Amino acid sequence: MSIKHYLLIFLLLISSSTLFAQNKFTLSGTIRDASSGETLIGATIKITGATSAGTLTNNYGYFALTQPEGNYTVTISYTGFASVVKNISLIKDTKLNEELKAANDLAEVTVSANNRKNENVKSAQMGLERIDMKSLNSIPVLLGEKDVLKTIQLLPGVKSGGEGNTGFYVRGGAADQNLIILDEAVVYNSSHLLGFFSTFNADAIKDVSLYKGGMPAQYGGRLSSVLDVKMDDGNNKDFKFQGGIGLIASRLKAEGPIVKDKGSFMVSFRRTYIDLFLRASPDSSINGSTLNFYDINAKANYKINDKNTIYISGYFGKDNIGVKDLFENNWGNVTTTVRLNHIFNDRLFSNTSLIYNNYNYTVRLLNDVTNFKATSLVRDFNFKEDFQYFSNKHTLRFGLNATHHRISPIDITTTQESQVNPLTQEKRYGLESAIYVSDEWAVTEKLNLLYGLRLAAFSLLGPGNFGTYDPAGNILSSDKVESGKFYKNYLNLEPRFSLSYLFNEENSVKASYNRNTQNIHILTNATSSSPTDQYVLSSNNIKPEIADQVAVGYFRNFEENNYEFSGEVYYKWMQNQIDYRDAAELLGNSNVESELLYGTGRAYGLELFFKKKFGKLNGWVGYTLSRTERKFAELNNGNYFPARQDRTHDVSFVGIYNLNKRWTFSSSLIYSTGNAVTYPAGKYVIGGQTVYYYTQRNAGRMPYNMRLDLSATLEGRNRGRFQSSWNFGVYNALGRKNPYSVEFINDPNDPSRTVAEQTSLFGIIPSVTWNFKF
Amino acid sequence: MKKLILYTAALGLCFSSCKKIIEVDTYNAEAQIVIEGKITDQLIDQEIVISKTVGYDEKGIYPKLSGAIVTVTDDRGSRYTFRERTPGVYVQAMRGISGNTYSLNVSVEGKTYTARSKMPNRVKLDSIGVVTNSFFGNERKTAAAYLVDPVNETNFYHFNLYVNNLFSRRVYVNNDRLTNGNKLRIQLFYESDDDNDDGLKSGDKISVEAESIDSNIFDYWYTLSQQSGRGPNQGTTPANPPSNISNNALGYFSAHTYQKLSMNVK
Repeated sequence: MSIKHYLLIFLLLISSSTLFAQNKFTLSGTIRDASSGETLIGATIKITGATSAGTLTNNYGYFALTQPEGNYTVTISYTGFASVVKNISLIKDTKLNEELKAANDLAEVTVSANNRKNENVKSAQMGLERIDMKSLNSIPVLLGEKDVLKTIQLLPGVKSGGEGNTGFYVRGGAADQNLIILDEAVVYNSSHLLGFFSTFNADAIKDVSLYKGGMPAQYGGRLSSVLDVKMDDGNNKDFKFQGGIGLIASRLKAEGPIVKDKGSFMVSFRRTYIDLFLRASPDSSINGSTLNFYDINAKANYKINDKNTIYISGYFGKDNIGVKDLFENNWGNVTTTVRLNHIFNDRLFSNTSLIYNNYNYTVRLLNDVTNFKATSLVRDFNFKEDFQYFSNKHTLRFGLNATHHRISPIDITTTQESQVNPLTQEKRYGLESAIYVSDEWAVTEKLNLLYGLRLAAFSLLGPGNFGTYDPAGNILSSDKVESGKFYKNYLNLEPRFSLSYLFNEENSVKASYNRNTQNIHILTNATSSSPTDQYVLSSNNIKPEIADQVAVGYFRNFEENNYEFSGEVYYKWMQNQIDYRDAAELLGNSNVESELLYGTGRAYGLELFFKKKFGKLNGWVGYTLSRTERKFAELNNGNYFPARQDRTHDVSFVGIYNLNKRWTFSSSLIYSTGNAVTYPAGKYVIGGQTVYYYTQRNAGRMPYNMRLDLSATLEGRNRGRFQSSWNFGVYNALGRKNPYSVEFINDPNDPSRTVAEQTSLFGIIPSVTWNFKF
Repeated sequence: MKKLILYTAALGLCFSSCKKIIEVDTYNAEAQIVIEGKITDQLIDQEIVISKTVGYDEKGIYPKLSGAIVTVTDDRGSRYTFRERTPGVYVQAMRGISGNTYSLNVSVEGKTYTARSKMPNRVKLDSIGVVTNSFFGNERKTAAAYLVDPVNETNFYHFNLYVNNLFSRRVYVNNDRLTNGNKLRIQLFYESDDDNDDGLKSGDKISVEAESIDSNIFDYWYTLSQQSGRGPNQGTTPANPPSNISNNALGYFSAHTYQKLSMNVK
């Protein structure tokens, strides 16, 4: 079907609902937290009367509902907050700005189960996980640094990149196929300290949504998931401070009004201090070493008038490591977002964003003869215009997006004595643009649709010399392209479709299909990610990666919404996946595209999720049964082979127990099948040394992973404004030696035999953190 | 990997103590032919060694293949027939010449295996020495090879290191992609069989063999070096190094120059 056909069908669907026009008015407004003035994202608004309808607040806390003239009861609710019920008579367009009070400020009983809505069952959206920032605080993590990226790994369909690691794989996708955005800006490298910590300081974060499938049309650019992270806006009523002192890092956050109820700011800072311990060492080469990272999150907003609000937010983070006289390595992200919310009228909401982000690293080798400094940069300028139109039974979203990429793969500068030559690898420029439209349509009381289209264009721009290679990787020709010229263009149409059908309030089935494409790719032939991983754009050699995913699921709530169950199955096809030739040299190689192989992938699985949402004891159990495979003509005799992250079973238990007002205990237990790896099937001797003979790629299995983490939080006694708490944690409480790598060595007892030696990273690691706020 | 060790060491976590021998589930592949052939620019008995693989959990006694017909020809029309000196070891006294392309032909067990390798120009190994580095407060001595990389050609090097006549397990392979035309000091970190990596000690005798190799052989050694010491799950996904021998034989056939220097550590 052509684009024209799609649009025609789309217009027909929209117009069908306006045929029965009568006197209708719009109820609209913004929902906020009464204590801080923070807007609430995803609060439910339910309206009952002559007709009934419901909606959710958008990313800026705004909602609009259009209904026939009449008297209605409006119920506004949000998890963890007491619901507000209002009677209104809708005889003209009406504003309803409400502030909800947090439930823990009230008697517990007022958060009655009736207020909890069945949004997870009703909404057409599938594959969405929203992280509750409150429960995040009590989930145990390595060294007590609460972490969004580690918490999402406890959900079905999301696999950890490795022990204690923030890298993650979603439904069989690769680590570089996750779109990770912070206030709309892409965060290219979301890890600190080689992945033991993430760049997201939980203090500064308001909302985290992870889309594993059924991505709405406003998101694009990556194949397997969207992790949408939003920073706190800052308290617009009162100045507040909070912070924490932990074993490896300390945090401090300040927020307050710029103009009361009109504007606010938030600044949050986190830094590790491992290197302070290093500095205390009497050994000169240790105390000259550096090992630290820091994060700064800052945000301000100002409500210019009822129709316009401006937001400015930024993130700056950096890792520094170094060993005196040997090497230095630092890397970090910068993001800046300027946004203007504009309300054209009660029904039409718009957001305009200007975004800058970069990721850069520097490596210096300080050895006398191999002395050099290598730098690399990925930089984006991004313009986004998003509209949301609220009609009777439709919520329309449409918009456009244009991103200019610049990649400086590597710049090497050297000293006079250095035996390394200076090198500047050609920069690459690309323009990624997209238009999209989507509609969320409550077709009947029982049937909801969310469907849309995204048209994604990518252009590789000059200047540059672009090589073409034969199948063996030899250069055939090279095109010299002038600055500003479009060298290679790709256009992809991405249909997105999901529906939910409700059997009743507590039971539904959902189905979705979505296509995603990707034009920026990470090159790494090591199996673990590194700060020096290289980014490349789609080109004459590298085709856009394409993924098609279908999913169906059953969603069920029990016992007045106290329990939530979901089961989803998915199947995903991937095209134009990237792997590497033997002996590939990726760094500082201007013909790096000659080292690449292209193939396909497939992933499928079953995800089960059972959650108890409320009460003294809450938590969840997640189970994933899955398979993910790749196929390259040049690898494994052209047969499918398991991707490294293929793990058959993944189980996670999370339990949180609120003993009383002061003590909260929590634990998480994970079990997963080991990674797919290549084990030798034979051995031989070359130059007197044992060399291993490999047959099937990734046909072996690492030993399984299992880990129990525990944590306990003690709230300090109430001392008026000042509140403090202690968090105690034990990581890997069972002390199990989980596999990190396996090496094959000659048996120490009989050198003619081979044995496998496993290395583990973490033993039992206790932690303690003191948190405060005032 | 080194960086990671540094991080975990600094975080005070277990690393060396967290090693243990485990059972892995793999199978024993059928025996494959392995050919290791070298033609050097020395007038010596050049050796072509033919053996077979054994299964993963079998004893490392590698069957030698006798009765092969082994010939080497060069692009100048010379033809050398190799004789079997000991089982599986085929030799012929000859001297390779830089710039010549050598072709290997092995007929054994009803199959024929062929390979070609062009002997590159010899880059002089000027000297060898000992370099002292400080790593976390420990002075470590390592061997180094000194040479001047020719500016007008692409060069590939392979080294072997012996300490007190014991062969270092590490694969040392270099190209001049980032260092073309410079005076080079190539450090060769010793890796012994018993993981005792304290560096060199006074009185140790070190020997370095330097080979100028062709690009296929560089790919062979480079692939091996990428895998060694890291194992599955962390390094590059292990695969058989790309052999330049036909018919799926493992191993390589390399025409390379050869130099050897020895010294005692002071």
